[in-house]
Amino acid sequence: MNKFHFTIKKNQIKLIPAYIIVIAWVLFTFILIAWVVFASFSTSAEMFSDHMFAFKTGFHFENYATAWKTQKVSIYFMNSIMYTLVSCAAIILIATPASYVLSRFRFKGNTLAQNLFISSLGIPAIMIIMPLFSVVSQLHLLNNRWLLIFLYTSMQVPFTIFFMYPSFKNLSKTYEEAAAIDGCSPIGTYWRIMFPLIQPGLITVMIFNFIDIWNEYFMSLVFANKTSVRPVAVGLFNMIESMRYTGNWGGMFASVVIVFLPTFILYLFLSKRIINGITAGAIKG
Amino acid sequence: MKPNRKMIIVFLVPALLCYLIVFLYPSIRTFIMSFFNVAGLSDSVTTWTFAGFGNYKTIFHDRMFQQSMKNICKIWLYGGLGVMLISLVFAVGLTSGMKGFKFFRSVIYLPNVISAVAMATMWIYYVYNSDYGFFHKFLAFFGFTKASQILWTGPAHLFSSMLVAYCFGMVGYHMLIFISGIEQIPVSYHEAAKIEGANVVQRFFYITLPFLKGTVRTNIVMWTIFTVGYFVWGQMFSPDNLSNQTVAPMNYMYELVFGASSPARTVRNSGAGAAIGIVMMVMVLIAFGLTNLLVRKDDIEL
Repeated sequence: MNKFHFTIKKNQIKLIPAYIIVIAWVLFTFILIAWVVFASFSTSAEMFSDHMFAFKTGFHFENYATAWKTQKVSIYFMNSIMYTLVSCAAIILIATPASYVLSRFRFKGNTLAQNLFISSLGIPAIMIIMPLFSVVSQLHLLNNRWLLIFLYTSMQVPFTIFFMYPSFKNLSKTYEEAAAIDGCSPIGTYWRIMFPLIQPGLITVMIFNFIDIWNEYFMSLVFANKTSVRPVAVGLFNMIESMRYTGNWGGMFASVVIVFLPTFILYLFLSKRIINGITAGAIKG
Repeated sequence: MKPNRKMIIVFLVPALLCYLIVFLYPSIRTFIMSFFNVAGLSDSVTTWTFAGFGNYKTIFHDRMFQQSMKNICKIWLYGGLGVMLISLVFAVGLTSGMKGFKFFRSVIYLPNVISAVAMATMWIYYVYNSDYGFFHKFLAFFGFTKASQILWTGPAHLFSSMLVAYCFGMVGYHMLIFISGIEQIPVSYHEAAKIEGANVVQRFFYITLPFLKGTVRTNIVMWTIFTVGYFVWGQMFSPDNLSNQTVAPMNYMYELVFGASSPARTVRNSGAGAAIGIVMMVMVLIAFGLTNLLVRKDDIEL
């Protein structure tokens, strides 16, 4: 990053104020997360004492057991895993073919379709929630897992089409021409030849979709109001509410850790991809 | 290559159907509903009666709605200024040759991947706690005994505490957008200016900033979309009832239409809820239109 700086050392001294604020910010982020992780092994009584992280009574792994079993985190967690994975698979099946035809073929309505999908990125949830609820309740689909998956999928389809568009645009047309000469059908050409070529972009967009669906709150709040179908974000809210009254703070922080761990671990390994993805999206927008 | 009609239909129709069912049809119906008297969402359309702008009059005369609009305007303006300023400072600092650039960038973005419910819990039950909280310990350590006694989540500070916690998480996203804008600026501009003797501040105002117009626009539009969808943080900071300090239009709509928390509210008004939805949509459109003007005047195109 020292492209336009002649003297690196002098530059570093000038940057000291920037270092101070950035390091303070980063340190605070670490403290925030580390404290919650420590607290999840502690007890309410210890938190309110002077020796909170002395762990005089040992590490309380039972907080996790309590959260997992008694507070039903296991149910929410398994629901979220299922919703997220099935939705991600459905998004691949629905969004990538659409993105492919929009980016590679000229036909009537192409621009219109693109504009429709892009416009939906600016439609707030509050605009769509009420009619969706009327339809869903008329069809008796409240608290239905497949309905939730359909909603999560549909919400992410326009973004995925938009994100994958340049990946397809950048592929050479010779692939399809060669496949056509060899007698491969257009649909077969897509799945066997074109689809494998967009893996890098696809992985990035699927990480975004995973994180978005895992953390989705509002739709789940409205359409999943039974414990058995709730995903983690809404489940966590309910747990925090109940633990606030019972005063089990160790258990509360343990559930927080369980809920943020999957996306946190994903980020630990794939932060470079995620960051490059946002940067690429910003240039297009 | 020849377009293949069958293939286009097979590949495009599922995605279009998702769009029609989840975005287009509901948006149109919300728009229509906002001009009708509608009590419950499951009421049949035959019970709707035309209300003209009645729903809009109702909400704009409603004290709670006014408060919620005031709140999100404050979130948009104060939060927006704070977030944009901090993220711009971080972006400029990080791209001007700081060591550990990638590491810092990743950590600052981190809160964005964590569930808002989990983030809000960390803030409410740790950072703002008055017994063992971060602010309490931090201020007490430096001898600010009086400041350390402040009840951050008490009624007096609830709004600002919520805003700070919310903005902390948003900085990372907007910083990344700024960084991507800065990295697109051709290095030669800075080099030429340096040879001509321009200092850091001059280079920032005469080169970096004019080049960032498009980036600023993206950031403002995204910030507006996020603000319009402000919901979880308000609910987390006032979980039991709507409160003046934390209510946002979406929280109010949820209460009005889904009759959430308060048993006192037995009358549901979905027409008014729809009107709130339209007002929010209009806010996004205004932000989009105004920021378009900002870029259209731009003579430097990258």
